Amino acid sequence: MKTLLPILAFAALGLTGCATSVNTVQRANPQATPSYVADQRVVTDTTLARKLSTVSVNEAKVSGNLLKIQVTLENRSTKPQAFTYKFDWIADDGMELSGPTGGWKQIQLEGREVRAISAIATNPRAVDFRLKVRENN
Amino acid sequence: MKFTRLTLLALTAASVAFLTGCATQNNAKYVDSQGPNTIVSLNSINIQDWNTAADKLVSSLLASGVLERAPELPSVMAISRIRNNTQQQVDTDSLTKKIRIALNQTGKVVTTTTMGPDGRVEDAMAADAGAMGAFMAGQKQVTKLPYYTLSGKLLEDRVSVGSTKQVTYTFQLSLTTVKDGLALWEGEELITKQGQRSSVGW
Repeated sequence: MKTLLPILAFAALGLTGCATSVNTVQRANPQATPSYVADQRVVTDTTLARKLSTVSVNEAKVSGNLLKIQVTLENRSTKPQAFTYKFDWIADDGMELSGPTGGWKQIQLEGREVRAISAIATNPRAVDFRLKVRENN
Repeated sequence: MKFTRLTLLALTAASVAFLTGCATQNNAKYVDSQGPNTIVSLNSINIQDWNTAADKLVSSLLASGVLERAPELPSVMAISRIRNNTQQQVDTDSLTKKIRIALNQTGKVVTTTTMGPDGRVEDAMAADAGAMGAFMAGQKQVTKLPYYTLSGKLLEDRVSVGSTKQVTYTFQLSLTTVKDGLALWEGEELITKQGQRSSVGW
């Protein structure tokens, strides 16, 4: 029993040692006034939903008439995680718009890190968006 | 005994599935060029690297709002020299074409194909036909001069520790207004890959 205790303690230390989460400091009363988007979420991967949460979605117009979407994500685990995501853009007639740079992108989040991903629709006809997120293999 | 036979059957089935699974993996198949199952290599700039760099740089340019300040929209842009300072032999059009298409889609920029660095034009036929048409009409050819030029550089940085290799590709671009030669917008995107060997999927 005496020899088992240090081994258990060492194992626990090793496990917690791997988890390096992020501490943050920010303004207590934020001055920014983002334009939030009411979003609809479809979860097909519950494991991913447990690891990654969507904090908020906000939008803006850039360069005059181009839709910019920013989605703030949080890694709910204390371990670093890698995800891939993709933005699809939809025109006012419901048709999906294609672009030369609209592929899957990678994001790596440290433990408990909150970070925003954003994209700008290069087509001024874009009025809606769809964000797809998947866990890395 | 019955249990052993069942276990043996399950093991055999699993082995067959595993072996056939391996066999199909060796066969060539189509994958989405913009998807997450493309090959990641440490020795070259992959298609997803060009794609990510172009996307981030276009987003940075559009978010800066400089394109809106041009006196005329769409403004004309010429592609200047993109220096390749990497160890790879790459076609820089892999980056610039994506940027050109994206900017063209915005309706704010059109690219001239009859003007290029060191007099090398992209579309010689269009340049010649324009000159010929003007000559036949007895007019002086009026070439639309670019308002912007796009120039840049590709850099590579390689380091390794033990058997782990790391490569960083840097994509730098500058948008210059021709009338005053000032870089109105500058963007830089770094892509770093680390590992021991190339792999499929991200």
